[in-house]
Amino acid sequence: MTPARLALRIAAREMRGGIAGFRIFLLCLTLGVAAIAAIGTVRSAIEGGLAAQGAEILGGEAEMGFTYRLASEDERAFMSRIADRVSETVEIRSMAGGPDVSTLTEIRGVDTLWPMVGAAVLEPAISVEEALAVVDGRAGAIMEPSLASRLGVSPGDTVTLAGKPFRLSALLVREPDASVAGFSWSPRTIVSMEALQSQGFLAPGTVFDSEYRLDLPPDANLTALKAEAIRTFSDEGMRWRDERRPSGSTARFVEQMSAFLTLMGLAGLAVGGIGIYAATATWVARRTSTLATLRVLGATGGVILGASAIQVAVLSLSGIVIGLVLGAGIPNILAGWITSSLPFPVSFGVYPVPLMQAAVYGALVAALFTLWPLARVADLRAASLYRGGAGQVPRGFAVGLVVLAAMLVGAAVLFTGNWMLTLSMAGGIAGTMLLLLGAAWLLQRIAAGVSRVVPRWPLLRVTFGAVAQGGGLRTALVSIGLGLAVLAAVGQVDANLRQAIDRDLPTRAPSYFFVDIQTDQVDPVLQRLNAAPGVTEVKSAPMLRAVLTKINGRPAREVAGDHWVLRGDRGITYANSFDETVVKGAIWPEDYSGTPQVSFSAEAAGEMHIGLGDRITVNVLGRDIEAEITSLRDVDFSDAGLGFVMVFNPSALAGAPHTTIATIRSGEDDADMLNGLARDFPNVTAIRIADAIQRVIEILTAVGTATRAAAAITLVAGLAVLVGAAASAEAARLREAAILKVLGASRAWVLATFAARTVLTGAAAGVVAAAAGMAAGWGVMRFVMEAPYSVAVGPALGIILGGILASVVAGALFLWRPLATRPAQVLRER
Amino acid sequence: MVTILKGVSLEVKRGETLGLVGPSGSGKSSLLMLLGGLERATSGTVRALGQDLSAMNEDGLARFRRGNMGVVFQSFHLIPTMTAQENVALALELAGQGDALERAAAELEAVGLGHRLGHYPSQMSGGEQQRVALARAWAPRPAILLADEPTGNLDSTTGARIMDLLFGLRDQGATLVMVTHSPELAERCDRVLRLADGRIVA
Repeated sequence: MTPARLALRIAAREMRGGIAGFRIFLLCLTLGVAAIAAIGTVRSAIEGGLAAQGAEILGGEAEMGFTYRLASEDERAFMSRIADRVSETVEIRSMAGGPDVSTLTEIRGVDTLWPMVGAAVLEPAISVEEALAVVDGRAGAIMEPSLASRLGVSPGDTVTLAGKPFRLSALLVREPDASVAGFSWSPRTIVSMEALQSQGFLAPGTVFDSEYRLDLPPDANLTALKAEAIRTFSDEGMRWRDERRPSGSTARFVEQMSAFLTLMGLAGLAVGGIGIYAATATWVARRTSTLATLRVLGATGGVILGASAIQVAVLSLSGIVIGLVLGAGIPNILAGWITSSLPFPVSFGVYPVPLMQAAVYGALVAALFTLWPLARVADLRAASLYRGGAGQVPRGFAVGLVVLAAMLVGAAVLFTGNWMLTLSMAGGIAGTMLLLLGAAWLLQRIAAGVSRVVPRWPLLRVTFGAVAQGGGLRTALVSIGLGLAVLAAVGQVDANLRQAIDRDLPTRAPSYFFVDIQTDQVDPVLQRLNAAPGVTEVKSAPMLRAVLTKINGRPAREVAGDHWVLRGDRGITYANSFDETVVKGAIWPEDYSGTPQVSFSAEAAGEMHIGLGDRITVNVLGRDIEAEITSLRDVDFSDAGLGFVMVFNPSALAGAPHTTIATIRSGEDDADMLNGLARDFPNVTAIRIADAIQRVIEILTAVGTATRAAAAITLVAGLAVLVGAAASAEAARLREAAILKVLGASRAWVLATFAARTVLTGAAAGVVAAAAGMAAGWGVMRFVMEAPYSVAVGPALGIILGGILASVVAGALFLWRPLATRPAQVLRER
Repeated sequence: MVTILKGVSLEVKRGETLGLVGPSGSGKSSLLMLLGGLERATSGTVRALGQDLSAMNEDGLARFRRGNMGVVFQSFHLIPTMTAQENVALALELAGQGDALERAAAELEAVGLGHRLGHYPSQMSGGEQQRVALARAWAPRPAILLADEPTGNLDSTTGARIMDLLFGLRDQGATLVMVTHSPELAERCDRVLRLADGRIVA
């Protein structure tokens, strides 16, 4: 019989005994694989949804968009050349008014083709054409239900948009192409393009975006068309989107979020790896006599290793398969709930790629964490039957460990496609693990010290002595430490952000923005604002929208890459003096009227590798303006005030139509002032900062929740490890309890010392995790959010309590037997 | 390192029955393990069947034991996850002999366990387990049979049955080396060596 067949036969006979002792192994592996598979399945479902329904989401097969203007003649000619049909829509921010209230709305003007793909659902169920028609001289408007209820109106009532009367004809239940609009500040109103134009909404100088949805012929080559459109029109600020990636921001968000969550799932799998390692090591130890007997009967190391590896492989495979079934199944079971909570279509199903990836992760982690204990059996000597003890690990296996670890990181880089994130997270996890081990070592020294200073208190001495000696502290720290640390970090960041927004922002940021103030309205509006009770500060600046297209005559992206300043259009202004400090160069003289000059944000310029003397070209309403950077300013964007990346000298922008933006700080109830402004200056839009911030908080909360969920996976895996450790420590506890009882300890005394150890190790894990969370929180606030950090005590205490709870739950499961068993039973068995 | 055996020189002839006796810790089990290649000597040589065991590594020793050495332990050392039949068959399989399961059944029949083939070690009494162990050791017909206190964990009646089986094997041509505490067993051996403190004293 060949060695391979022998190994297989031995493995098969051994495995009939079932999986006792491998429950933790299976749990850890299954949990991690299921989490990763589920995350990948949801991601694929979302991407599948975006891809399958790209045209519907986009409202056409491709879209060309412009800022501040409609398409030019050339652009229209290009579109009608490549497309069978072109649908024109615009978006414009405005104030909507009901009988008593006015509030911000996002008006969408649509032509008669809209929606070109998909269908809008209205309440009452009338056609879009009917809803937008002019009846009794009033054009129809469709509003989101939330907007109508805020205005206190219902279909049939009259509403105003920027002071102009419209007829509310229907409520907007579903807008087919809503999600591409992306982040929206306010609820939607849909009216006809015709109405907008005839009421003067699209006058030069007003802020609006225009989008042209293209219905392309079936044989259209999107790649070529996109390239041509970008080559021809991107200098004029044209944006291109097509059905392959209808919502770039959504796709990017999904991509990054799923990469992050996958890596968190992988961290959970790695923590579970500790349980896998422990279970395998215990199994190998338990089988020592079996393996040595095989040796006696003449089995070579290869046969023994083979028989052991086959069993571990079969178990791993079952764990992975169960994990994949759960990971693919659970999202599909929850499909209804997930679909309804996401703003874009999701097509659920079984996606092989994420499952394959999860399987690879599972197999690599299983191999990585079982290799070492398995390697011991290869060299196990027959004499172990007498002497006990495990075999030496052959040296080659250390190389195997390194190779497997590298493969795991490599797979993560390959699968997430984000090496920076992967490597920094891998480093972060490895670093945290080392810190946790170091903390365990330190705490053991401290416990040893404590046990020595309380020699007359046996309970304390025994308890601290046990904490100092046993491996329980280390196990607790490495198993639940990572999950707790991530939760702690999220808690710290969350609390600090809320604090920054609730407490700090009102003192730093203005209360309201007023946008679209026409030039002839500037003086009366500012007078009104200054006179309003409670208003403590009024600032204003002219504002235009511009796209930075070139740097020193070259396309800007070639020079500065994908910098945020280059994404879409930016607000620019002109002035002869600024509040901000000029850090380099000098501002133009008051009456300067030479070639255009611009003052740039010092930080942004540094990131974009540009500086004094460089020339930038901005496109303002289709007109190119080239200006030289003559000064750099320290711009603080964190106060949500009037911060501009680019400030031009006034004559550079002379003649360009513009509006004025104003900010106020106000501490009082501003309803009267706002209603008065809305009545007298209906085109001026008021944006309450608190409302805008609220939308940001909602997004941050969602990210925080997802991170917490992923950390929970890590924590549950850690808990499984902890339970496994407690289970394997039960025999030792049984013996210790018996001996303590023989020496005269009551059950209460024994319970007290065991409980105290459990609480101490849990608290230690919690304290270390909370400290790590604070450090991470400080780092995030200081370097990412650029905001001050202060320790959030509540969340930190919660983490410590969580650590105690986890430890107690795991320990309590195995406390009863040592307490209940009579000493003789234990000691005589020995 | 503790030196267990000192200056031991010993030769066992083919077909001989040798008893090793002596107090606990005298080194008799270590000597037996050396003979079986289960333990390696730190100095000196062990030769068996014309081969130098001290020159072999663990795998070499394992291969040598197949079909050459049968070992019976005081605590049986049956593989708990395998049935009686499989335990015996395994030795034959490792020795590369065919019809392992059928022959294992016959061997168990021979020790009076024909009705227990499918039972696991935990379902059998100590005497039954030791009979399985004996069948397992003898099944490949090794040249040398080593027994380490084979009756040490058994009551006297059961022990006597095992010994009858064991000495029955001698009559089938086995060379038998046995560690024992029992004077009666020692008496039945062709030759008895007494060890004390790692040396042969008689």
